[in-house]
Amino acid sequence: MRALGIIALWVVGLFLLAIVPIPREGLLAYVKPLLLLIAIVYSIYRISNGMMPRYRSTGQLLWQMTYIGICGFVLFFLVAPLIAVIPLSFTSKAFLNFTPEMLNFDPAGYSIRWYKIMVGDCSDAVVTTVCGDKWKIGAWNSLLIGLTATFLATVLGTLAAIGLTRPNVPGRKLITAFMISPLIVPLIITAASLFFFFAKVNLIATFAGVVLAHTVLGLPFVVITVTATLSSFDHNLMRAAESLGGGAWKNFRQVMLPLIMPGVISGALFAFITSFDEVVIIIFMGGADQLTLPKQMWSGIRQEISPTILAVATILVILSVVMLTTVELLRRRSERIRGISPA
Amino acid sequence: MSDATAPNQPLMTSDGRLLKDALQQSLRRSKLKALGLISIPFLFLVIVFAMPVFNLLVKSVDDNLINEVLPRTFAIYEDWDGTELPGEAHYEAMFLDLTGAEGIQIGKASTRMNYDKSKWKSLIKKSARKFKNIESGPYKEVMIKTDKKWGDITFWQSLGSMKDPYTFGYYLNAVDLRYNHDKSVTAQPENRRIYKMLWGRTLLVSLIVTVLCLILAYPVSHLLATLPLRYSNLLMICVLMPFWTSLLVRIVAWMIMLQQNGVVNDALVHNGLLDDENRLAMMYNFTGTIIVMTQILLPFMILPIYSVMRTISPNYMKAAQNLGASPALAFLKVYMPLTVPGVGAGVILVFIVAIGYYITPELVGGKDGQLIGNQIAYHLKSSLNWGLASAMGVMLLAGILILYWCYDKIVGIDNMRMG
Amino acid sequence: MSAQPAIRFDKVQKSYDGEVLVVKDLNLDIAKGEFLTMLGPSGSGKTTCLMMLAGFETATNGDIFLNDRRINDVAPSKRGIGMVFQNYALFPHMTVAENLAFPLEVRKMSKSETESRIKRALDMVELSGFASRRPLQLSGGQQQRVAVARALVLDHEVVLMDEPLGALDKQLREQMQYEIKHIHENLGITAVYVTHDQAEALTMSDRIAVFDDGVIQQLSSPEDLYERPENSFVAQFIGENNKLVGTVKAESNGVSDVEVPGAGTVRAKTVNTQGIGGDTLLSIRPERVHINPESGALENTMTGKVEELIYLGDHIRTRMSVAGNDEFIVKVPNTQRQSMLKVGESATIGFQTEACRALDV
Repeated sequence: MRALGIIALWVVGLFLLAIVPIPREGLLAYVKPLLLLIAIVYSIYRISNGMMPRYRSTGQLLWQMTYIGICGFVLFFLVAPLIAVIPLSFTSKAFLNFTPEMLNFDPAGYSIRWYKIMVGDCSDAVVTTVCGDKWKIGAWNSLLIGLTATFLATVLGTLAAIGLTRPNVPGRKLITAFMISPLIVPLIITAASLFFFFAKVNLIATFAGVVLAHTVLGLPFVVITVTATLSSFDHNLMRAAESLGGGAWKNFRQVMLPLIMPGVISGALFAFITSFDEVVIIIFMGGADQLTLPKQMWSGIRQEISPTILAVATILVILSVVMLTTVELLRRRSERIRGISPA
Repeated sequence: MSDATAPNQPLMTSDGRLLKDALQQSLRRSKLKALGLISIPFLFLVIVFAMPVFNLLVKSVDDNLINEVLPRTFAIYEDWDGTELPGEAHYEAMFLDLTGAEGIQIGKASTRMNYDKSKWKSLIKKSARKFKNIESGPYKEVMIKTDKKWGDITFWQSLGSMKDPYTFGYYLNAVDLRYNHDKSVTAQPENRRIYKMLWGRTLLVSLIVTVLCLILAYPVSHLLATLPLRYSNLLMICVLMPFWTSLLVRIVAWMIMLQQNGVVNDALVHNGLLDDENRLAMMYNFTGTIIVMTQILLPFMILPIYSVMRTISPNYMKAAQNLGASPALAFLKVYMPLTVPGVGAGVILVFIVAIGYYITPELVGGKDGQLIGNQIAYHLKSSLNWGLASAMGVMLLAGILILYWCYDKIVGIDNMRMG
Repeated sequence: MSAQPAIRFDKVQKSYDGEVLVVKDLNLDIAKGEFLTMLGPSGSGKTTCLMMLAGFETATNGDIFLNDRRINDVAPSKRGIGMVFQNYALFPHMTVAENLAFPLEVRKMSKSETESRIKRALDMVELSGFASRRPLQLSGGQQQRVAVARALVLDHEVVLMDEPLGALDKQLREQMQYEIKHIHENLGITAVYVTHDQAEALTMSDRIAVFDDGVIQQLSSPEDLYERPENSFVAQFIGENNKLVGTVKAESNGVSDVEVPGAGTVRAKTVNTQGIGGDTLLSIRPERVHINPESGALENTMTGKVEELIYLGDHIRTRMSVAGNDEFIVKVPNTQRQSMLKVGESATIGFQTEACRALDV
């Protein structure tokens, strides 16, 4: 934990160093970038050196520094854009970059007006920005479609996984491959196929059509996670339950389901987030009544990006962290239940 | 299998049945139970997924539209030798077909005919209107009088390639080829050749993204797999957070980073590394597509490589060093070969996902970052050339299924794990 | 023991987190040609010591010498020490021959030399026909032999083994113990062996270092370790042991008079007490206790109640309640059948002063 504190201090230090303005002319203009470079290289050196045994050669140290440098860059590359969104969503201006006021930590540079606009409170809206209930409606529709599709996908996927993990299933591999294929087939192809097909049965621009399509997309995740959980499930437990005279449903409810619950919930979360984030299907066959959050974002991005989108994005980033933490905790819990790893 | 000491008497159960039969029967019951459980989701997927995809396949070769409108014309089309203008019978058939069909059908068919030969649409549109005032023949003369094009033999010849109710024409179009009227294959005219370039670009982008992901993922996966768990769990959040974040959010985030007045350009200018006039163009072009797709797909590369690396016992590296190999050599000769399964899985997974990408290039690709997925969407939504869209979709799907099969061979679908 | 030790730990300490020492002030000389076993429960620091010797962990403090050369800062690949890993660490993507050739190739040995060495090493472990198999196609015992062969293919003078037999079943383990012992004797190499199995340690070693809590509790021959444990941890960790707690009342000529509640005064050999007035733990091996001895033949006698009898063929394992300890075990040789005990009866037990060691509590 102490090491983490030091790392955090370093990051903050580097960040502050990076935003200090420099004069355009003269020697000073070169001092800051140089200082920044030295600070970064020194941090990499400290981390690398700490990880190496004393008998390392200089060549090995340089290698290690390159390695740590690349790893640091990649992790930065992965999260930096997402992190950058958060402070920007609190801008008081209608621009999508850091204003001088924000960099100087001037309170006037920050505001929550874009969050207000997001929830439909238009008191702070400027003339040029669109303000209305669209985000609220979108969120509500996304939630509704997501939950319905998740429910269907979870029930169907769990059924399939239980069937597939029973002994003596003919053509198990082929069926599994088929069940997972919606994950592999590009969304644009799925969208095209369903578009033509649903047109024939009048499901275009209907709630049911979107839900069915999202169920198809979510199903593979449930199959995968529940199958994985079941692969370490001791089938003797079910035999024992049967020998104790329980009926099939009772045994499933009271013996199997509690044990595979973490896998089921993980799968459901994956299915939900898939539906909640889904863009392609919805823009191909969602009607005006199926305005979801991604669809609203899509049109927002294509027309003109206002910081309102950043406010939505911030909420979604936080949501993703919550989701991933939940899945991680569930995974650990499931391992603990099955005695794979101690606590 | 069985050995020589097996008794000649077949084994029986206590109630006198053949043991083999009894086993078979109980096996069958268990099979039926399993299939019963699978059947509901299986049927669901067949109806809502497999059948629509099959329908796409049918659509990509379906060319019945013109046949529905011009049944009489096509019935006697074979009688014509194709060297000079056809006789009165053909003109009469054409006249009756065009006056007999519904306007909406004629419109669709003529659009389709226009894909093969331009001006068909305008000719039919004009003629259909004027034919209403014509009472009787001889049709050949009257029709040519209505529009000179009816006297142009190339229009009659072009019908030859439309006669078949099934066509591979869309597939040919998807690779910049087309049928001549005599069903021989030639290249599209120069100005209509774009698809080969698009397929090439799609492959190129997928390849670049895959290679970049591999280069970036390998060291990070190694770091995550070798660090003590409490540190690696923390760093893992950096990998999983983008994985769980909405695609559109990530794209928005990159727009903010990479645009002309974005964070990266601002930071570079601010720190004196770049002049204000020379801001880098990193968005709405090829570079943007590559950068954003790499970041989006990176977790798909890191996770499988990481999970394989995690299972490689650190003792292998220790043993190699104990046997005299330098750390570098031990890594090259012992560690790397053991990571091949993870690398294979990651590479195929990323390539499969990249090749079908649509949203990302649409939003950040600008003009020279568009991929085949965008073209499919264009034909689906804007040009309404659904046959071509289907054909391109089916080709893409075929390529992906081959890769999926390879993935199964290398990793096994059963081993697919999430998160 | 020769004058110059092959391996020397000098005041070695090791800490992973800067707070807890897992190895505390280790001083250990290992002679050339010796078979030394580091024995201890898990977490006692024995494997850490081995890893420091192999070079995979660095000592936080102190020095490690190999043939009088300080090797703290020598890379593992340059130390010239053979090692057999827990679960063998045979490279799964290489054949047996390729595994054995690995260290030879690294040293750029000629092809003919490589082949002859591989052949010799495989002959030594009686696996000549298996050169082209992959490790996963071999049984556990065979993999174990390959691991030994790989550690020895370079004629290292020192070989380290980290619980090499842990993954084998009991019978195979015993067989492999003798094989490793013979290989060690034939080659005259120095072997450092880590295990938590005391039977294994007693069978194979010249000397055993018993580790607990990062400290060597006792370093001596197997016989000394069993017969003359120097503290209560060793006495309890090695073999079976009866415990009686008492207070030292008097001490002279290496013999303590210990007052044991419920058993009177017991005369015990002073080993590790805190002097007169201090508490002590008396340790008596079960086979040294006699039932119903002739009066006057043994210095210490007391009465106990028979709680349980287990017939084991050559002896009868008798559990008794003595001085408040109802886990007091006596091994009664089957020759005393005539004086068969019965559960619930009282009996006199006795033992020599020599057999009773006064240790720390």
